[in-house]
Amino acid sequence: MWKKEKLINGPLFLPWIIPFLALLLWIIASKTEMVPGYLLPRPLDIGKAGYSYIFGETGEGPYAGRFLGDLGSSMVRVGCGFALAVLLGLPLGITSGRLPYIHKLFSNSINGIRAVPGISWLPLAMIWFGIGMKTTVFLVALAAFFPIYLNAAAGAGQVNPLLLQAGAMMGVGRVRGALAILLPAAMPHIITGLRLGLGISWAYLVLGELSGVPNGLGAIIMDARMLGRTDFIMVGIIVIAVIGRISDRLLMVFLRSCFKSARRLS
Amino acid sequence: MKTRAKVIPLVKRPSPDDALFEIDGLRKVFPVGAFFLTVLDEVRFQVSRGELICIIGRSGCGKSTLLKILAGFIAPSSGKVLLNGKSVTRPGPDRCMVFQEDALFPWLTVRENVAFGLRGKGFSRRKVREQVDKFLSLVGLREFHNYLPRDISGGMKQRVALARVLILQPEVLLMDEPFAALDAQTREEMQSLLLALWQQLSHTIIFVTHDVTEAVTLADRVLAMSKAPGRIQQQLHIDLPRPRGRDQKDFIDLAGKLYAALR
Repeated sequence: MWKKEKLINGPLFLPWIIPFLALLLWIIASKTEMVPGYLLPRPLDIGKAGYSYIFGETGEGPYAGRFLGDLGSSMVRVGCGFALAVLLGLPLGITSGRLPYIHKLFSNSINGIRAVPGISWLPLAMIWFGIGMKTTVFLVALAAFFPIYLNAAAGAGQVNPLLLQAGAMMGVGRVRGALAILLPAAMPHIITGLRLGLGISWAYLVLGELSGVPNGLGAIIMDARMLGRTDFIMVGIIVIAVIGRISDRLLMVFLRSCFKSARRLS
Repeated sequence: MKTRAKVIPLVKRPSPDDALFEIDGLRKVFPVGAFFLTVLDEVRFQVSRGELICIIGRSGCGKSTLLKILAGFIAPSSGKVLLNGKSVTRPGPDRCMVFQEDALFPWLTVRENVAFGLRGKGFSRRKVREQVDKFLSLVGLREFHNYLPRDISGGMKQRVALARVLILQPEVLLMDEPFAALDAQTREEMQSLLLALWQQLSHTIIFVTHDVTEAVTLADRVLAMSKAPGRIQQQLHIDLPRPRGRDQKDFIDLAGKLYAALR
């Protein structure tokens, strides 16, 4: 029986198989020169570029030692944008999931704006907010808002009415009902929304930073393109993949440590 | 904690001057498309303090709707519902409901579920803990206090549901076919448990069921409802001593009468 359970969860190396295979394929492709080096740099070059980007001294080479500064400013941008999206999206989503009036009031407009690809906001945002922090935060908040809003609304909408009735009969008021019954009961959906929102935040961070800000993880990608340094583009991409994955895990850890419902329902 | 339910010696209950719940001229109409469906019509009865009443009827006769009106979840179209002479307008901890389906909070443990109604009412942590322990023991779930609802059986869930409302010391316990989804043995166990608790705590209980045997086993008085529109068609006092054997002649006679009334 134990053996069976272990098989279901799979061995520990399972998540690493695909990255490993991809790396192997890449090494073969660059060794055999199937793809020229200026299009797809060799893994070793990227390793070197990544090392100098993260651990190098400033001035040693292009982008050397800029990692912490870039990461810091990018994280501030994502953090601000995501926080804004949560602050707006969660309450709005939960209320419109419960109250048909609020839903009717917002659903048309929100779903209309949702249909507009985020990238079309970039020119307007640059005119409104200039280049840099504000534009990026705006784009991140805008993009992260929709999954958070929609999932919170769906979650609040499908809460078993019996739970709310049970609360009402036990003398639970509106505020406590919302915090102690509605929120935990909708938690699985809310978590999905938050994770999707945070994921898309990193995507729109890069978009916002492509517009020519001097620092940030997206900025290095665009800057490296101008210099024709594919290795640093790849470094930027890999760094964002890793940071995105880590931030998703951290979000889960945070929610699980704060909410019983996040621990016990998912 | 103040005991709201008055303790009445078994021999004295029920007496007609102790009317606790008064339902008169109750009518409920639901709009169905362009028409109106009269679910309840001219429902009238009284419940005495400490009485165990079963409302029996076939499915769709409006007995659950009636219970929801008594609980204050929905408003009647007309008629009055008085508890202690005061009109019932919304749900409150003086009329607690045990639902047919599982209505426990799935993210709370058994203990936290039972404690839920006491939270935010100014009781000390110790007091809450003591009360929860007491009521968990009453329903026989002390050892399971740290389990989540998804890890316990249907019968145990209904025990938790019972404990979480009993702890609020309601004046009336409303039960909406609470044992209908359980297997036969568990149902009988739960019926004995309910009777034992009722004799110990002297609550007033309004128990809705479609099961004739269950009604005759439990009730002081059975109200049989007719279908479409729902009316109280017949009243039956059951004076058999408890515990009631299902194979006694009187039991079978009364059950037969009820079957006839429902037909």
